[in-house]
Amino acid sequence: MITTEVTFHELATLMKQSAGVTVDPRELEQAPETPFASFGLDSLGLLGIVGELENRYSRPLPPDAERCKSPREFLDLVNSTLKAGA
Amino acid sequence: MSTQHPRRVAVTGIGVIAPNGLNTDAYWKSVSEGLNVLDRITREGCGHLPLRVAGEVRAFDASTVVEENFLVQTDRFSHFAMTAAAHALDDAGIGSGDPAEPFSVGVVTAAGSGGGEFGQRELQKLWGKGSKFVGPYQSIAWFYAASTGQISIRSGFKGPCGVVASDEAGGLDAVAHAAGAVRRGTGVVVVGAAEAPLAPYSMVCQLGYPGLSTVDDPDRAYRPFTTGACGFVPAEGGAMLVVEDEDRARDRGATVRATVAGHASTFTGVSGWERSREGLARAIRGALDEAGCAPEEVDVVFADALGVPEADRAEALAIADALGAHGTRVPVTAPKTGTGRAYCGAPVLDIAAAVLAMEHGQVPPTPNVFDICHDLDLVMSRARPAELRTALVLSRGLMGSNAALVLRRGGDSARQDRAGRRTPA
Repeated sequence: MITTEVTFHELATLMKQSAGVTVDPRELEQAPETPFASFGLDSLGLLGIVGELENRYSRPLPPDAERCKSPREFLDLVNSTLKAGA
Repeated sequence: MSTQHPRRVAVTGIGVIAPNGLNTDAYWKSVSEGLNVLDRITREGCGHLPLRVAGEVRAFDASTVVEENFLVQTDRFSHFAMTAAAHALDDAGIGSGDPAEPFSVGVVTAAGSGGGEFGQRELQKLWGKGSKFVGPYQSIAWFYAASTGQISIRSGFKGPCGVVASDEAGGLDAVAHAAGAVRRGTGVVVVGAAEAPLAPYSMVCQLGYPGLSTVDDPDRAYRPFTTGACGFVPAEGGAMLVVEDEDRARDRGATVRATVAGHASTFTGVSGWERSREGLARAIRGALDEAGCAPEEVDVVFADALGVPEADRAEALAIADALGAHGTRVPVTAPKTGTGRAYCGAPVLDIAAAVLAMEHGQVPPTPNVFDICHDLDLVMSRARPAELRTALVLSRGLMGSNAALVLRRGGDSARQDRAGRRTPA
C-alpha cells in the first residue's frame, strides 16, 4: 500500500504555487501552530491548496479543510483523511 | 467649520505606467516630444485578430515591481495600478508603506474591463479541465474592483475606498469622487485607473465596438479631427494620483502640483455621437461652474479625441458651445493619439499630462495629426510654449458617458483669495 502523506515541505510548495507566498518549510515545521495569516496566506489561498490536493489525490477533502487556521491543523486533517481513504 | 474656507483638493503625487513611459518623467518626455509609440500588437495569441495596432506597455516586468503574492493573485491591470500608485505615493512624499494614520488614506479607481487576461486563463481551465481546476483568486482578480482593493491591502490603507464604473469617462469621475471624499474630511485619496485590455479574450470583447480602428498602419490608425479619422486605437496602462486637502498638503510641506477645481458628468446613451455634443457641453459648463472659472480662463483643453468623425464633430461643437468664441482660440491637444486610449486610464493620463503641461508651460502636441477639418486650434507637430494656469480635460465613453474636469496650476490657488482675485504671493 502506498502511504500518502502531505509534508510541511509540500505545503510550503503549495503555498508558493497557489498563493505566491514564500515560506521556509522548516519554519512551518518548527512553528506549526502559527496561523496561516501570519505567513501571509489568506482564505482564498488555502482554498486553492485544498482544490489542488483534491485534484492531485482525486478525492474530496472535508469542508473543514479550508477553515483550518494553522499548518498543523490543516496537515492533520488532510493526512487523516487521506489515510482513512487509502 | 463655518468660518473655514471650503477644502480645496490638491494633486500632490502622480504615477504613470503608459505605452510611452514607465514613469512620470519618461511619460512627459514622450508626450512633450509628440512621440508616437503605436505599433503592431505583439502579444501572444493576438496575431489572428483584426485589431492590428495598439499602444502596448512593453518592457514592464511586473515581477520586479510587484510582490510574488500579488503576481499570483492579481491581473496585469492591477499590477499597473499598484505600480503607478506606488510611484504617486512616493512622488507625494507619503511612501507606499504602512501609513501612520491608515484610516486617513482611501483609494478610488475606475475600470472598464477588469482583469481579462487572468480571467481568460482561469476560464480556459474551466472549459479545458473542469471547474475543480479554477483557482479561487479568479473570484477577485478579474473583478473590475480588484485594483482598489489590492492597492489598499498592499499599503495598509483603511480610509474610504471606492470603484467607479462609469465607462471611459469614469477616469475623471473617479477623481471627482476622490475629491469629494477629501472635501468631506478624508486626508488623502489615491485615485486613478489602469487597464490591460490587450490579451486575446479582452481584445475579442472589443471587436464589436464600431469605433475601433482596424487600420494596420500605426501612423494612420488613430487620427482624430482629420478627414482620415478611422476610429480609435486601444491601449494599456494608466495613471494614479495622490489627492489631498490642500491645507494639509502645505502643512506637511508637500508640493501642490495642481488643484482639482471642478467636475461634471452627463450621460447621452449609445444612439449616436451627435448627442454627445450637448452632453459634453453641459459637462464642461458644469465643471467650469464648480470651479468658478470663466470660459476665457481655460488655457488648454485636453480633448477626448475619439477619432470617429461624428464624435470628433460633436466634440469640436461642444467645445464651441461651452466656451463660446474662446473655443476656437484656446489650444486643444490630444496626446493620446501617440499612445492609444487606455479606456478609463486614458483621461487620468490626460490629467497627468495636463498637470505636467502647466508645470512646464508647454502644450504637448497631438501625434500623427497634421491636417484637421474642425474649427479648433489643435496643437500639432511640436509642443507650444504657453503660460497655463487652467486646464480642461474631457472624456467620453463608448457607452455614452461624458465628463469634464477643470484643473488649476499648483501654487496659484494659495495666492488667490476666495473671490478668485490674485494677490501677491
